[in-house]
Amino acid sequence: MMFNHVFKKTATERQDNSSDVRPEVPDGILKRCNACKSAVFVEDVRKNHNVCPHCHNYFRMNAHSRLRMIVDKDSFTEWDMGITSNNPLNFKNYPEKLESLKEKTGLDEAVMTGTAKIHGIPVALGVCDGRFMMASMGEVVGEKITRAVERATNEQLPVILVACSGGARMQEGIVSLMQMAKTAAALKRHSDAGLLYISILTDPTTGGVTASFAMLGDIILAEPGALIGFAGPRVIEQTIGQKLPKGFQRSEFLMEHGFIDQIVERGKMRETLYQILMLHQRKDTQEIFGETVESYADHDEDLSSVEMDAWEHVKLARDKSRPSGKDYISLLFSDFIELHGDRDFGDDPAVVGGIASFQGIPVTVITQEKGCGTKDTIYRKFGMVSPEGYHKSMRLMKQAEKFGRPVILFVDTPGAFCGIEAEERGEGEAIARNIYELSGLKVPVLSIVIGEGGSGGALAFAVADEVWMMEHAVYSVLSPEGFASILWKDGKRAKEAAQVMKLTSYDLKNLGIIEHIIGEKKPLTRENIPDTAKKLESYIMKFIHRYGQMNIDELVENRYQRFRQF
Amino acid sequence: MIRKLLIANRGEIAVRIIRACREMGIETVAVYSEADRDSLHTQLADEAVCIGPGPSAESYLNMERIMSATMISGADAVHPGFGFLSENARFAKLCEKCHVTFVGPSSKVIRNLGNKQIARNTMAAAGVPVIPGTDGPVYDVKTGIKEARKIGYPVIIKAALGGGGKGMRTAHTPEEFERAFLTAQKEAKGAFADETMYIEHFVEHPRHIEFQILADNTGHVIHLGERDCSIQRNHQKMIEESPSVALSEDLRKKMGKAAVKAAKAAHYVNAGTIEFLLEKNEKFFFMEMNTRIQVEHPVTEWVTGVDLVKEQIRIASGLPLGISQRDVRIKGHAIECRINAENPEKNFRPSPGTITGLHLPGGKGVRVDTALYNGCQVPPYYDSMLAKLIVYGVDRKEALCTMKSALGETIIDGVDTNVDYQFEILNNPDYQEGNIDIEFLNTHVIAGVKINDV
Repeated sequence: MMFNHVFKKTATERQDNSSDVRPEVPDGILKRCNACKSAVFVEDVRKNHNVCPHCHNYFRMNAHSRLRMIVDKDSFTEWDMGITSNNPLNFKNYPEKLESLKEKTGLDEAVMTGTAKIHGIPVALGVCDGRFMMASMGEVVGEKITRAVERATNEQLPVILVACSGGARMQEGIVSLMQMAKTAAALKRHSDAGLLYISILTDPTTGGVTASFAMLGDIILAEPGALIGFAGPRVIEQTIGQKLPKGFQRSEFLMEHGFIDQIVERGKMRETLYQILMLHQRKDTQEIFGETVESYADHDEDLSSVEMDAWEHVKLARDKSRPSGKDYISLLFSDFIELHGDRDFGDDPAVVGGIASFQGIPVTVITQEKGCGTKDTIYRKFGMVSPEGYHKSMRLMKQAEKFGRPVILFVDTPGAFCGIEAEERGEGEAIARNIYELSGLKVPVLSIVIGEGGSGGALAFAVADEVWMMEHAVYSVLSPEGFASILWKDGKRAKEAAQVMKLTSYDLKNLGIIEHIIGEKKPLTRENIPDTAKKLESYIMKFIHRYGQMNIDELVENRYQRFRQF
Repeated sequence: MIRKLLIANRGEIAVRIIRACREMGIETVAVYSEADRDSLHTQLADEAVCIGPGPSAESYLNMERIMSATMISGADAVHPGFGFLSENARFAKLCEKCHVTFVGPSSKVIRNLGNKQIARNTMAAAGVPVIPGTDGPVYDVKTGIKEARKIGYPVIIKAALGGGGKGMRTAHTPEEFERAFLTAQKEAKGAFADETMYIEHFVEHPRHIEFQILADNTGHVIHLGERDCSIQRNHQKMIEESPSVALSEDLRKKMGKAAVKAAKAAHYVNAGTIEFLLEKNEKFFFMEMNTRIQVEHPVTEWVTGVDLVKEQIRIASGLPLGISQRDVRIKGHAIECRINAENPEKNFRPSPGTITGLHLPGGKGVRVDTALYNGCQVPPYYDSMLAKLIVYGVDRKEALCTMKSALGETIIDGVDTNVDYQFEILNNPDYQEGNIDIEFLNTHVIAGVKINDV
């Protein structure tokens, strides 16, 4: 039953209330969220880092608020104020427009540069302000960024640039285009000096800015849901005559396609930056470990020494309850920051890599990841690495080389991903490239086989100064099933194959393929791994100690000879 | 005078307020969630504005939307009812900023009384009795024993970071104290890694006695007698009555005076309630002040003849109180039972659904405040209260008989209710004797159900 206007309405006597103050919402209390369309308190939005408290939409932020959000209070000193455009094209009304914007925004151009501290760590930084001609890059923006980067290079400072831009400034035409070259070149010199550049992409980052400084970060962070692209969505739609899919050119889309290291919420931006900066403070290994070089036993005294069939080892190595690479990362390292993407095609979930602190030493750590639980395992493609996974690992290894960080690799893959797309994108080339580059990487490299070390897919993570194996891990040219089917045309004879392949840690130690076996008193599970991790930690410490002190030529030569012997 | 009132609430209290407005010639605006499109309050008001989806956070608790609705409808005042935004100082402040009359006290008063520490200090300074306790933290037994003697036994020892009964012990004698203190402290250390303790007088088996007060803008404050709300389940009141059998005329005067003093100390304006804990020895302590209309206001209305909602609206319009303390006479006895959509046998699990059959009691001395009608929906998003059954008799005995009769003819089909459970409380000899305290439902088996204290 529904009542439909059956009730009589209130009989009211009209009163004269004209003298009263009429109810109204004063200015500056409420505003409308352009995403969820609901009214929100300005105060709530401000307290919430300019994020809608209802739908978590990101409102655009001006440069001053952004600085307040990421740098220490009162630590910002502005550089290069008061530079103005020469209006290179003599564009009509352009100087007047600039003047009126300066007055309106209190800014002198679309970017603020300077130096500041983040939890005490000094940085050079530039922050775009979209209120000023959509922060398009003309000669002043380009000049200020270039000068800031140059100064940072001289003063050995890391650079942080917060991008937000419509692209090149049309009023300055070709001169605007040259800013792309100028800023990129300055960043190249900064990078060649071994210095860090963190790029932060915010809504929107498009056109010439995307195609220059914004995409050149050693580490590229983005705010959730930001529009990031080269050509604007409207231009693309008109050109191809198609409607674009939802989420196209948003941060999440870019991350999926390999161009962003991490999407960071505003509330976590300062801490994330601090963590990254901390991990790029150069540390001397000697300072941490002292000068004595301890050596460690070839064999672990904790070997289970239970007579075990090779096939049993294979089964244990593949066991679902066995810890995966991520378990090792979380137990052995602190402050791990995962870095995503190959900067080319995609982000392979079968590889997890990033930077972390090992006993206070910054390291790059990369694992082949099988995942935990059915859903995650499927998502991570059972640890079978695609070309973009190898490309990502290569990118992170080269980055480690630039910053002088040791690289620690975990091997756990049945083999490289087998499929059409993987071949189209050059799976073989990707593996080859990894082996090739690893052989000459100018930092210590340690590789630990924690589960399955399947074929070339594993070797791409195992060209190292030392290769270790967990006691029940296996490492072979091919899976026993594959071996049996190639040699005997019968995949079912895998058990027999396992016996003859010499794939256990004991066999491989005898063959000199690996240096070290980490004992598993009991077969490892996610529950019992902490004890073993402790032991592993002390070995890794000794490894970093020994190889960290080695002269680079000697290090690379040793690695060359290590593989030359086979 | 308020011309057009927006009711920022739903259910029976929204209907109650709309009715008062209809009688006073004030236009009404209802706000409703998508789940309440066909609710009685939506239909009964002169206008209705939808303010969002069913969940409270997106509708009845969303200040921005309610303020937008106020502006769109041209209402000049907002009545918050109880629950939802009724004791939200920020909402009251928003109304003040937007020149909308908030039917209730000022945002500042709401904020101060909502802060337990400020409220306690204000009352103690004004000479209103508060539960005696240590001013600062206690770390060792020796100091503890000294403090306990000052406070008076029994005492309760509480961990500063305590919760869920952990690090909490009572002691009735100095002999018991040492062990209780050490145990509580050890527990606190284990659970919260902190040994900071507080000691407070332990109010044993108290009654919940609250005083209704009215205060206008000129500083005139009166009280309208007490309500005994001792029948509670997990701090949820189930039955309320006025007057309380536990109060002699003398005690009523004493507590009433304290209530007025409390309201004055808080610079209170509009209708409010001072809650006390009353010990068997007639000692009473201030607990908190509620800055809104209460669910159980009808029992006071019946024994005093004052329409509390109309008084609220008059006071909010800036009018002075029409009555003085001398005019307040408590006459007869009123009892209220809260009828909830819940299943007492299944741990009072809420039972939303559609009402498929409805018969509500009536007749002399029976009042039903409800938004129910045959075929209406009981949405799952909100409080499970369906109706308030209020009865009146010349004395408690008559009121009890009327209530039993009224409960006995209440039929609500389609959802589970606590009607039978309430009926059984009325049949309990202790209840009939008026022999009750806030532990009543934890210490008596009612309709085969015993409440386990959480």
